[in-house]
This record gives sequence, C-alpha cells and structure tokens, in this order.
Amino acid sequence: MAAIPAERYTGASIKRSEDPRILTGAGRYVDDIKLPGMLHAAFVRSPLAHARVLSVDASAARELPGIVAAFTGTDLEAMTVPGPDALMALLGGAGPTPEFTLLATDKVRFAGDPVAIVIAESRYLAEDGCELVDVEYDQLPPVTNASFALDPSSPPLFANLGDNIARPHSRNEFGDVPATFATADRVFDFRIDVHRHQNMPMEGRGCVASYDGGLGVITVYTATQSVHVSKIAVAMRLGMEQDKVRVLAGDIGGSFGLKIGASREELAVAAAARAVGPPVKWVEDRGENLTTSGQAREESFDVRAAVSNDGDLLGLDVNMVIDTGAYPGMGTMVPGIVEAMLPGPYKLAALGFESTAVTTNKASYVAYRGPWASETFVRERILDLIAKDLGLDPLEIRLRNAAPRTDPPAVMITGRPLAGVTTRESLERIAQLVDFPAFRRRQAEARTQGRYLGIGVATFIEAAPGPRSPEVPSGPMGTEPMRLRLEEDGIVTLFTGQMPHGQSHETTLAQIAADEFGVPFEQVRVVTGDTDVVPFGLTGGSRSATMAGGVALHGARQLKAKVIEVASHLMEASAQDLQITDGQVWVRGDPASAISVGEVARRAATGRFAPGLDANLEVEAAFDGGEGGWSGGSHCAIVEVDVETGIVTVERYVVAEDCGALINPAIVDGQIRGGVAQGIGAVLLERSAYDQDGNCQSATLMDYLVPTACDIPRIEIEHLETVPLDADVNFRGVGEGGMIVAPPTVVNAIEDALAPFGARIYEQHLPPARILELIAAADSGQ
Amino acid sequence: MVEITLRVNGTACTGPAEARKTLADFLRDDLNLTGTHLGCEHGVCGACTVIVDGRAVRSCLMLAVQAAGSEVTTIEGLAPDGGLGVVQQAMWDSHSFQCGFCTPGMVMQAVAFLGDHPDAGEQQIREALSGNICRCTGYQSIIDGVLLAAKRSRGR
Repeated sequence: MAAIPAERYTGASIKRSEDPRILTGAGRYVDDIKLPGMLHAAFVRSPLAHARVLSVDASAARELPGIVAAFTGTDLEAMTVPGPDALMALLGGAGPTPEFTLLATDKVRFAGDPVAIVIAESRYLAEDGCELVDVEYDQLPPVTNASFALDPSSPPLFANLGDNIARPHSRNEFGDVPATFATADRVFDFRIDVHRHQNMPMEGRGCVASYDGGLGVITVYTATQSVHVSKIAVAMRLGMEQDKVRVLAGDIGGSFGLKIGASREELAVAAAARAVGPPVKWVEDRGENLTTSGQAREESFDVRAAVSNDGDLLGLDVNMVIDTGAYPGMGTMVPGIVEAMLPGPYKLAALGFESTAVTTNKASYVAYRGPWASETFVRERILDLIAKDLGLDPLEIRLRNAAPRTDPPAVMITGRPLAGVTTRESLERIAQLVDFPAFRRRQAEARTQGRYLGIGVATFIEAAPGPRSPEVPSGPMGTEPMRLRLEEDGIVTLFTGQMPHGQSHETTLAQIAADEFGVPFEQVRVVTGDTDVVPFGLTGGSRSATMAGGVALHGARQLKAKVIEVASHLMEASAQDLQITDGQVWVRGDPASAISVGEVARRAATGRFAPGLDANLEVEAAFDGGEGGWSGGSHCAIVEVDVETGIVTVERYVVAEDCGALINPAIVDGQIRGGVAQGIGAVLLERSAYDQDGNCQSATLMDYLVPTACDIPRIEIEHLETVPLDADVNFRGVGEGGMIVAPPTVVNAIEDALAPFGARIYEQHLPPARILELIAAADSGQ
Repeated sequence: MVEITLRVNGTACTGPAEARKTLADFLRDDLNLTGTHLGCEHGVCGACTVIVDGRAVRSCLMLAVQAAGSEVTTIEGLAPDGGLGVVQQAMWDSHSFQCGFCTPGMVMQAVAFLGDHPDAGEQQIREALSGNICRCTGYQSIIDGVLLAAKRSRGR
C-alpha cells in the first residue's frame, strides 16, 4: 500500500459542501416544504399603531369558499397557554413582565400587530379572507419615541405595567468615576444617536406546522437559529410536553439575529394547525418582514468623557436609552452588554453607566448582528471628536489609549481581561496597508478641485468567545455539546445543535473533524436542524467557530480514541501503535496492516468483544471554550462625499482582522465582507422609519434601501493570527465584527471628508439628505 | 382559471392557472420548481429571476398567463444532466454565496447577462447584478464568480 497522505483541511479554503444543492435550486428552505393537504395562513394586521380593539368579526371571511378557518385573538387565546416570551424566559430577561397574547385581543400595540389568522386552501385565498375580517378600533395616542415613553403621562402599552418602562433605570460605576472626572484636564459632553434599522434577511420568517391528532404530536418545519428554542416555545404556548413537539429546519435564507426561536405568528400557526387538522404553512411577505418581524438599535447615549490634554481617555459617564418597540424581546438585555463592552480595548480607568429601556408603538426589538454594537460606535466616534479638538491624529489617539499586551493581561474596568487582544497590532497594520501621508496629500489636492475625500479608522473587540476568567468558571460561553458517530460505512457523522443559516457549518465543522479523526473531508457529515437527533444549541453570538469548532475537534479526538481501542482488539495490536489517516487504521510503520474505519465500525456493530470493551462507536462530547480569547481588528475606509448631491462613495475599505486561527479563509472573509456591507448600508441607506402616528414608512425594499453590488467596494482583508491562548482551539468568531465596526469607520471617514465645512457628526445614519443638512448647518455657522 | 401551455426547462407544461397567479407561484406551486425563490414579491430583490424567451425576468412581477407560449428556463434547467453549468461552477469555485436564498436569481441574471455580454468587465457586471440583492456576502465573491465564468467561457 502506498504511503497514506497526511490531510490538512483546517486552514484551507475548501469549497463548500452546501453549494452544489444551493447552486442548482435544490436547497430546501421552509417555503419549499409541501405536505399533503397543506393549508395556508395569512394574518389580519392592525393598521393603527396604538388602539383598543373593540370587536373582531371574522364571520364573512369564514363563509368565503376556500376558507377553512379564521381565528381571532380571543379564539386563539382559548387555544393556547398564556406565558412570557419563551426566549426571554429561557435567557432570564431583565425587567417587568408585560401580559400579552399571541394575537391581539384587547389592544394593538404597533401598526402590523396581528389580530386574526385566516386559514385557507391557498395563500391567495387566505389573503382574500383577511380582507373580509372586520375589526373595530378605538385609537389611542401612539407612543412613537423614547422621550415620550419616558414621560409618565404617556399611555402605557401594557396595562399591567402602568408605564412604558421595559427595564427600569439603573446605574453602575466601575473605578472611581467622580475622582476621574474631577482630575481630568478636559471634560467633553456628547449626545450620540443610533437609528433604528433591521436584519432584512433575503428569506423572511415562516413555518409549516403539522399536527398528528392520533399521536398528539406536532411537527414544525421552520426557519430558526435554534430548533430547540423554537421547540420550547411551541411546547410552552401550546401546553404540550416537549417530547410531543418536533422542530425541523433545513436551509435558511439568512437571519442575522432575527430568527431566534419562534415568533408570535409562528406559534399562532402551530396552534391553528392543531385546531384545523391538516398542516398549515405561513411564510411572511416582505411587507410583513419589514414592518412586523422586528427591528433593532434605536439607542441614544448622553456621554461625558474625561480626557487629559495629551489625549488620554480617562473615564466615561454614559446614559443610554434604548427603544425596544412594542413586545418583549432581547432589547432589555442589550444595555448590560453595552456596559460590559464600553471600555473596549482601551485603558479606561473609570466608567459610569446608566440605562433605561422603553416600550413604544413600533415593531419589537430583535437581535441584529452585534446587538451591543453601539458601544463601539459611541467609543470610536467620540475618540475622533476628541482627537479633532485636541489636534491629534485618529490613529495616534487610538494607539495612545489601547491597552498594551502585558502578562498578566490588562483588565477592562468592567472586569474582563484583555488576554491576547491585538488592537495595537491591527492599527499598526492598517497604517502599513494604507499610506496615510499620501492620502492626506491627495485629499488636499482634491479639495482644491472641490472634491471631498475622507479617511476613517475604527477598532473593535468582540467576545467571541471572550476570555476565560475566574468570574465565569463555566467558560466564556457556557458549554457546546456535540454527538459524533462512526457509521458502518465509514462516514463520521456530527450531530450539532448549531443551526447554520449561511455560515457554512457543513463545511467548516467537517474540515476540523476530518483532520482530527483522520478521514477525507467528504467522509464527514454534519447533521443539523432536527430536535429529535441534535443536542441543544443556537447559532448566534459568533459562538460557532470556537464552540462548535472546538467540540468538533475534541469530539473527533474522543471518537478516534474509541475507534483505535476497538481496532486494537480486531487487529491484535497495541492501541499506542495504531493511527488513523485517510480513513484507514493501521499499525504505525506497517501500511499493509491498514483496514478502513468502516470495516472497524461494521465489525464493532456485529462482533463480540472482551467484556467491558465499549464497542459503541459514538461519543457525546462537550467543550467549554477552552482558554477562550477575543476576536477583533481595525478597519479603515476612504470615502468621497459629493457635496452637491450628498452621495457618499466608499472608494476603499481595508480590514486588519484577528480572529485567531482560520478554519476556512474564504468563509471567514465572506463573514467579514457581509458584515461590513451591512454596516455600510446602516450608515448610508438603511433606516426603519416611522411617521408621527406610528406608521412604518419603510415597508418595501424601495423604501428600506439595502446596498447593491454598486454600493460596496472590494474589501481588502488581512489576517493577524497572533496569539494562541489554547493548546488546541484558537478559532474565534467573526460573524458580527464587520457589522460592529463598519458604521464608526464609515462615519469617521465622512466627518473627515467634511472637515473643511467644520461638520461634527453625532449620529449613525447619513443618507444624502442628511449629508446636505450637515453641510448647510456648517455653512450657516450652526 | 385559464389553461396555459408553456415550455419550462425544455419540457412542455400544461396546467390551469388563475388569472392573478404569478409566474413564480406557478413554477413553485404547480410545477414544483422550488429553486425559484421569492424574496420581496414587488420586483426589487431579483431572487425570483428566471429566463423567459432569452431575457431575465422577475417571475414575481409576471403573471403565469403572460408566460403562455413562452420558453422559460429556471435554475433547475441550467444543467439538466445534474452537473453544474459554467456560471454555477465558477460561483462554487469562488465561494460566491452564503445562505443561498438570492442564489437562483443571481445565477439566472448572470447567465442571461453573460450570454449578451461575454466580454463584460467588473463594473459592467456590478451594474448588471445591481438589481439582485444579496444580504450575506457584500457581493465581491459573487462578482468574482461571474468574472471567472466569463473568463472560462471566453477561453473555450
């Protein structure tokens, strides 16, 4: 036998296993599920932002041919079990618990709030039926912004709360805040605003629910970031035992935080399916997606910064208000993460942080890629504002304040050690990749011709997974489980609770396991999306690379040891002398001894072994994040602002990124570029807009503008793989970083471009009309 | 209901279609060709792009009855032998996609465009694809895939 080649998949841009089906239209998304006798659902939704529901009459709809059923909010309340939002119950969300139903009963709380569900033989007919549902409303004053929500006289959305405070005001101090401010040379005051925008995955929400009345079992096919979280929600709201609920997911057309668990609509569809008998499908249309699925951000920050004359950022005192929209969600948890992350990689000595979360008559808050990202926006924006006032260069002020790499590592004033953080290295790399002096010359030359170029830099760190520290003994992100099995045909199967929706886990996890176990890449399969076979898990928070990658590595190692133990009995060789490469087990130094791992599995399944030998070639592994570590990096944008039209063009975008060891560079780069594109969109285009009555003004893709191929430049990426902290697992998450740091990078560049006008920017959304306003305000000396 | 006949991926298909039914729904629901995706149903995102009589068309904006008598190609029809066409292969090689939901429309748009503009450069390709939204990639990998497909096609 020829020498068995050593494979090394991890670190190579292996082509994706997902692509052959996706490129041929053979992907299986939730809307592609078609079950015998399947019916279709559509929702009647409130046209008003805030109103009492006086009556709902669905009788005309029920009489329309093709309509199978129509359930009002009150009908559905009788078919379900009351309870809190399942995800928040699971995560232990902060704040009081508002009482609400899946479909509105007594009142509607945002324009688009569902009040009835119509089930019909086709989606067309279901929408016809919705037209015939007659709802009488008594309009209430809408609460459309945070300042009104904070006013005790604003009408409460939830009667049982009595006000519109979703999470009460709190204040924490780290370090000596008063002393830091008392001794500072300068104290700056800023008000920074981040606007409402949203995920807008290409595929919206959707599900197919199928109830077997004989067995009392419901099967829900859905698009979710966690089949188990969806299952818990369905069981809770339908009053079923969890073992009677099975949730399945196939391909998912993006999410970016939107599809965590089951939404109110999906739970209503499940309840309706149980009531009517045949399976029921609901797939939201783009209007529903933009106005009702959920929106993110909309935060304001009153910031005081204590600074030395030399540009040392000594302390911050921040008051954050977040507008979490109508119904409970993750918004109340965001201030806590913002607080922890606000110091970033800098030597901040003191932080005062207070926050309040409010409820308003707008679509509910959902997680969106880097939900806490405003901490980076605020910090990186004010650093430029301060630098400008002190006459410092933006790179210089960052290098001056970034904590140096020391042993033991510097500790953020909010508690986490900055182990392995390479902020200085990434900033220095940016300075090498972009010739700043040459740019300044070009900028000066362009200004003489009436052209306005600007350069912006920003840096970030992301806890993906975060450092191991005594404060979190369970590991930086808890535990990630995985079941691994050697099948009798030699396939190594990984059962993971990860629920990929574009991140390519079928490829990346197989790369890691193939290397560690010693089989060809094609011989590893990744199984996801079935609560009956995969362990608990969630794809989100940039946890997959470290946590799922880590458990794939350790699990493959454990499975390999087990296979070698069994093989040593079959081959009458010492386990220490056996190795597995290229799918063959062989005695070291004796290639002729090789037998395939499939042969070992077949003989293990059928053979008789010595008592006490575990021949079940399956392991349940768990990984606690190992030594953990930070992801991070610095970005640089060069923009041109057309001061006649207000249009901003991103001419060049450079990334110096540190996400530890790369599993698949092409996939990592794709994550970074996609995040940067969303960040550019957030600044230049995207806004979830409401009028003063609470009507969503961005209900189509002609109103909610996302970047096209002409809006995003080539994004140049350099990887720094600098600091291994763990013996085995140094992959770090990159899912959110691009979206976290691109907004301040681009805004900093725009402000630099507008420097001749003296413009100062305190906000994130800068569409052309706003750019022209900034120029006009600067011109008139405001 | 109107009885319509059209050729889809080289096969004659006959079936009843309600006058208001979109071509996209007819392809997906009646012909089970679920590779054509619906991303917005108002003609902006391009996910539902198919080729009708040689031209890229948004099948959410066209009624099924309007396609009667036409020759329609969907993503399923690009490589009938079960393999990958030139554009599909180049996009696989270029890591073009992530979630894959925009993919069928993007591929069909690229196939139609390259058919008319085999020598297109990057900026032309960006403009040609600017009516197809991708939310995952930032487009660079898609553009690289189309450029590679164009290069390979010219090399034949």
